[in-house]
Amino acid sequence: MHDLIRDLRDQNVLLIHPRDRSADELLQQVNRIGCSFDHMWPVPCSLPNKFDMVLVDVTDQSGDKLKGILEKREKPVTIIAIIGYENPSVLNVIFEIGAHAVLMKPVRAVGVLSSMLMARRFQSEQQQFLKNLKKLREKLENVQKVNDAKFILMRHRGITEREAYDLIRRQAMAKRITTTEIAQSIINAESILKNMGDS
Amino acid sequence: MTRNDSWKIGLLFSTSGVTSIIEQSQLNGALLAIDQINAKGGIQGLPLEPVIYDPGSIVPRYGELAERLIVQDKVSVIFGCYMSSSRKEVLPVVERRNALFFYPTLYEGFEYSPNVIYGGACPNQNSVPLANYLMSAFGKRIFFVGSDYIYPHESNRVMRNVLRQGGGEVVGERYFDLTTCAGGFTDVIKEIMDVRPDAIFSTIVGQSCIEFYRAYHAAGGNGRVCPIASLTTNEGEINAIGAEAAVGHITAAPYFRSINSLANRRFLKAYEQKFGSTIDVTSCCEAAYSQVHLFASVLEETREMDTDCLHEALLGEGFDAPQGQIKIDPDNNHTYLQSRIAVVNEDGEFEIVLKVRRAIKPDPYLVFPAIHDWSFRTQKVSAGGGRHA
Repeated sequence: MHDLIRDLRDQNVLLIHPRDRSADELLQQVNRIGCSFDHMWPVPCSLPNKFDMVLVDVTDQSGDKLKGILEKREKPVTIIAIIGYENPSVLNVIFEIGAHAVLMKPVRAVGVLSSMLMARRFQSEQQQFLKNLKKLREKLENVQKVNDAKFILMRHRGITEREAYDLIRRQAMAKRITTTEIAQSIINAESILKNMGDS
Repeated sequence: MTRNDSWKIGLLFSTSGVTSIIEQSQLNGALLAIDQINAKGGIQGLPLEPVIYDPGSIVPRYGELAERLIVQDKVSVIFGCYMSSSRKEVLPVVERRNALFFYPTLYEGFEYSPNVIYGGACPNQNSVPLANYLMSAFGKRIFFVGSDYIYPHESNRVMRNVLRQGGGEVVGERYFDLTTCAGGFTDVIKEIMDVRPDAIFSTIVGQSCIEFYRAYHAAGGNGRVCPIASLTTNEGEINAIGAEAAVGHITAAPYFRSINSLANRRFLKAYEQKFGSTIDVTSCCEAAYSQVHLFASVLEETREMDTDCLHEALLGEGFDAPQGQIKIDPDNNHTYLQSRIAVVNEDGEFEIVLKVRRAIKPDPYLVFPAIHDWSFRTQKVSAGGGRHA
């Protein structure tokens, strides 16, 4: 059993929607599913932090405004857009606000659970991808730095790549800092020395 | 909608095919309730008139006949179905035509339709008490067998989770076609004899259920030592299996024929008068009976067959059913039900050993029932099914 299915009832759900029949259907279904939920209308200026998932009616809403509210949070939130029309301007709003799933009006009870799960999955995967991407980017930058530092040492000292790397590593160990930091220092020093020669 | 001389309602139960034993009993339950209502002068002076079709246990036929009931016979209220697969055929039809559908059968949950009133138990209403009982009375190694369709798979998923929470273990899991005969169970029964579980949890339904119990008995299986526990095997099937092969086996359900209460004695007496014997009275039969009564009492109020009016009136409606007080949960269209555990005795009758203290709220979207939930605490029932059984 997937964790997302198991933990579904831990979700705090917020519905931003005029209090009409669709809203009632949705709130009742979220209640049946067993999540705690709240309702807000009109669109609030900011989102309380406790909510993990927001179902928002995007009809006649400005994408920019919604985006501002949804993004102004420390904790990322799962977004399900509720739409009444499927025309390009509505669809564009869905993209703008970064919705993870869509529900059509009139809302039927069937399908709400699947949409909530798909949105959660999409959102959590996206979050994981972003984290991995950040990590990889940092790693790549670090490798690049160490490489640059190695070449500087090789040029100045006339040593091999292997010896240059060992030198950086020994320094890092002695000073109890990372090889990247040593590499950065070497690069900085080199640029200062080079600039001195110029002036 | 014709409302000149009667209130027409559709009954969609198979009286032929693999699930005919149980569906016949559901049909009888509904017919009995209709008789009782008409004997009292009907509703607003008009009798209920059943329109009955037999889908022959063929899944797509349920959908076709539901369509026919609504379009041709102008019926907007239908009672019917046993298997989930047949309900799934009827569901889109009643939703499209905005009819009201009563489903008097336990099922696996995870469904809500504004057009359906669910009268049987969800897993939270019977799986947890059964798992508790099996582990405390027999042991923690349980073998699963089931028919190969949605209900057994989902039911076993729930059971597995409940068992694990209580430190239990699933020592085998096998699924069979609905038409499997005795010979088809030879291998699994051999496997059960080799593995020696503490109990068997069976979700085999229909004719093959009878074959399975018999085959288990024939191979030397003893219900008193290693019982077959089920949520679906009921009086009708036990009768077909025979007391000798059925003794010791366990079923959890909201209703058993042996309940000793005034409401149940009255129900059984009326049933016997109409059908000659109470041999096939089951929990699903009782559910069909109670659902017709629930429907009739709200029709008295709404005085029209409008689906939305009826639905609105049904929410929260209660009935003093043969099993005890039941009530339609306004949150989810399912029903608050009693929960009992019974063991088959030497006479082939269910003897109730445990019951929960009060009707359990249906929770159709529960992924993981918690084994220690207070609402599942059971109380012992004195021998012979005492006053409170």
